[in-house]
Amino acid sequence: MIRIYRQLLVAQIQAAAQYRIQAVLWMLFSIIRPVIFLAAWTAVANAQGGSVGGYTTSDFAAYYIALTIVGHLNTAWNSFEFEFEVRQGRLSPKLLRPLHPLHYSVVENLIWKVTTFLPLMLVCVVIALTFQVKWNAEWWHLALFVPSMILAAALNFMIGWVTATATFWLQRINTVNTLLQRTSFIFAGQIAPLSLMPTALQVISYSLPFAYALAIPAEILRGGVTVERGLLYLVGQAVWLAVAIVAYRFAWRAGLREYSAVGA
Amino acid sequence: MDAPVVDVRALRKVYRVTERETGLAATFRSFVKRRYREVLAVDGITFHIDPGEVVGFLGPNGAGKTTTLKMLSGLLYPTGGEATVLGHVPWRREGSFLRGMTLLMGNRSQLVWDIPAADSFLVLKEIYAVPAAQYKRTLDELTELLELQPLLHKPVRGLSLGERMKVEFAAGLLHSPGVAFLDEPTLGLDISMQGRIRRFVAEYNQRTGATILLTSHYMDDVVALCRRVIVIHRGVLLYDGGLADLAARMAPYKRITVTLRASVGDLSSFGEVISNNENVVTIHVPRTQAAERTARLVRELGDQLSDISVEDPPIEEVIDKVFASERPLAEATA
Amino acid sequence: MIRYLRMFRAFASSEFQFEMEYRGNFYLSIFEMFLVIGTSIGAVLIMFGHTTTMNGWTLPQMIVLLGVYYLIQGGVNLVFSPSFERLMEHVRVGTLDFHLLKPVNVQFLVSTRHLRVVRSADLVLGLIVVIVGLLQVGDQVGVAQALLFSVSLLFGVALVYSLLLGLVTLSFWFVRVENLLAIFWAFTEAGRFPVDVYPLWLRVSLSTIVPIGIAVTAPANAIAGRMDWIGVALLGAGTVLSVVIASALWRKGLKSYTGASA
Repeated sequence: MIRIYRQLLVAQIQAAAQYRIQAVLWMLFSIIRPVIFLAAWTAVANAQGGSVGGYTTSDFAAYYIALTIVGHLNTAWNSFEFEFEVRQGRLSPKLLRPLHPLHYSVVENLIWKVTTFLPLMLVCVVIALTFQVKWNAEWWHLALFVPSMILAAALNFMIGWVTATATFWLQRINTVNTLLQRTSFIFAGQIAPLSLMPTALQVISYSLPFAYALAIPAEILRGGVTVERGLLYLVGQAVWLAVAIVAYRFAWRAGLREYSAVGA
Repeated sequence: MDAPVVDVRALRKVYRVTERETGLAATFRSFVKRRYREVLAVDGITFHIDPGEVVGFLGPNGAGKTTTLKMLSGLLYPTGGEATVLGHVPWRREGSFLRGMTLLMGNRSQLVWDIPAADSFLVLKEIYAVPAAQYKRTLDELTELLELQPLLHKPVRGLSLGERMKVEFAAGLLHSPGVAFLDEPTLGLDISMQGRIRRFVAEYNQRTGATILLTSHYMDDVVALCRRVIVIHRGVLLYDGGLADLAARMAPYKRITVTLRASVGDLSSFGEVISNNENVVTIHVPRTQAAERTARLVRELGDQLSDISVEDPPIEEVIDKVFASERPLAEATA
Repeated sequence: MIRYLRMFRAFASSEFQFEMEYRGNFYLSIFEMFLVIGTSIGAVLIMFGHTTTMNGWTLPQMIVLLGVYYLIQGGVNLVFSPSFERLMEHVRVGTLDFHLLKPVNVQFLVSTRHLRVVRSADLVLGLIVVIVGLLQVGDQVGVAQALLFSVSLLFGVALVYSLLLGLVTLSFWFVRVENLLAIFWAFTEAGRFPVDVYPLWLRVSLSTIVPIGIAVTAPANAIAGRMDWIGVALLGAGTVLSVVIASALWRKGLKSYTGASA
């Protein structure tokens, strides 16, 4: 398996080299939304004398920068790619090979994240300076952050795969993707830090997997949690990841059956 | 004498292609700076086609056939030389030129896959501004010629390759063009579908007098449809003239295949022995002496002879010789 | 001109028939739009749960802005986005050639060939939100304001069109550019808030390079009575310039494609 991954890596890096500029451009994608909401919340905080619900303007900046980093590192676009491949008829050849299509996706995903990490950090510095951030994190926050981030990325990736399997039934999963995106939009911590949301919405957020892939690692990174809370969050993430993997297994098997019935 | 429909002079096309080396170091280098290479696709070709002709454009892969067709249909502009089609310069893409011609590509589909062909046809009707009466007439005719009736109202994605090809043909001819460029029209089709498409093209040419230039690497396409053939190899024209003439000049021999009851030893006194396989012997003899040699074989082999046949060499052999020669043959008189 | 309208009608008709084949997706899309607009309004309400103004904008004014945002998005997503998405596939796969064979202006074909008819629901919903916001604002909307609004809205759409066209033209040189559209949509997110809440560098880029900021804020300002004819004229000048530049870039891209396609 290691050898396979190494080969895939080489091949994908070659492919990625062809589209280098576009890779960087796509990185910008992950930072736009946090910046927008940061600007908005800053305006709100300023209208209220500098802070809102326990968050000062620099707290907002820290939160949204953390969100940017997490949002970048947990990106998964496999559901879109998958639909496209199926439509182009490129899935069948992959299915004939003894390697699960998922692995190509993993490698592609990792390479993009690695190659765009540096530009991302640069942009974060710019944001930090613009919004005058103040960082509260301790060393153990960062120690907690590493596993948290890995779990978050894996979780998002698996959610992406489960979504992707909808292609087998719907062919065009545009709507499914958007539905998931919008749900994530409200409940993953993008509109506002979770504690600033109305209570009912907070409860829902904690019951859905999306916050565990975004807001929670972000809070850990910016230093907004205690040790106990942090560890509890990690457990929550692991649970959701397990659920996602099980869901994916079911969906993939059922989907393949449907796929070969309808025709490749 | 009518002006030629297609008039090509010293047409030339050079591509710039990015160079890619293998290996990880080269990959990182290409992140920083790309390297280019020039490819000469078409190297100054000249020919003309008269109205109503069906001309075959033959050549191995990469010979420059598709590039030439793309230039003649206005999709590519050349690096040098001139061409006119229907009196227009193709790459100027004037409206009347585009309405008068069509390009069909065997491996590419212009129809929208998710909707029935009939719906795509209606859109094409508007795009080409085909008057309603003419559209109906043309569509009816094409439907009849191509047996499209069961195919028109199913989404294109549900059709087989052969059915899709037929529908693509119809789509390309809805506006009754005077010139049709067909790029590998029978690519990937099964034998019977190939035959049907060929018959259609021949009929279409007869009924409408449309000028047809077709590329193929299936010899049978060319043999079935084209009296005249242009051979291109590495961007250079090697031959332009009648197919029969070509055979006579490149392969001035006939092939005699003799089946024997038992081995009779060396037959090289009759001609050049090409193969000797379990008592089936193939001999090449000069054309002019074919009859005489055949008679001699019959006489001298007597009842050792079980079967004998005399044929023209297969056209593939002829064409391969042309490719191998790599020098243009002097043009045969049309 | 008539011919182009007839062609457009043929495009719309065939696309609509196709969409009706997948009725499930069609209704889902409408439901989805309700969801999207609902959540966006929700986001604004959450923010305004902590304050009464944001940079001088009151809640009803923000609602109007949001409505304009979805109006413009709806318009662009109705025609231009689906067509441009297909264009990028065409360039990637090599089927753009077929457009070039047609006796029609290629820019027109490429910009309008495909529609997502269901997006007209977005237009309607956007308009409803604008009206709801206006009712909350309570002012009377005069004819002059309505006119300014409509004109600046059209300019806004044209601006966004020219940006999209420019982006999509890049696919001639950088083949896998479909992700650029994703970036475009991310940038257009910025239109959901008034352009003046953003730091200077962002404000400037949202009014020039990625003009979604000005495209949305200007009509919202117009209808709130905060914009005059001079402002609209300036906007118009910028729009015209933008469309001209984008079209020139398109022609350049096409020239490059017809020199190099294999």
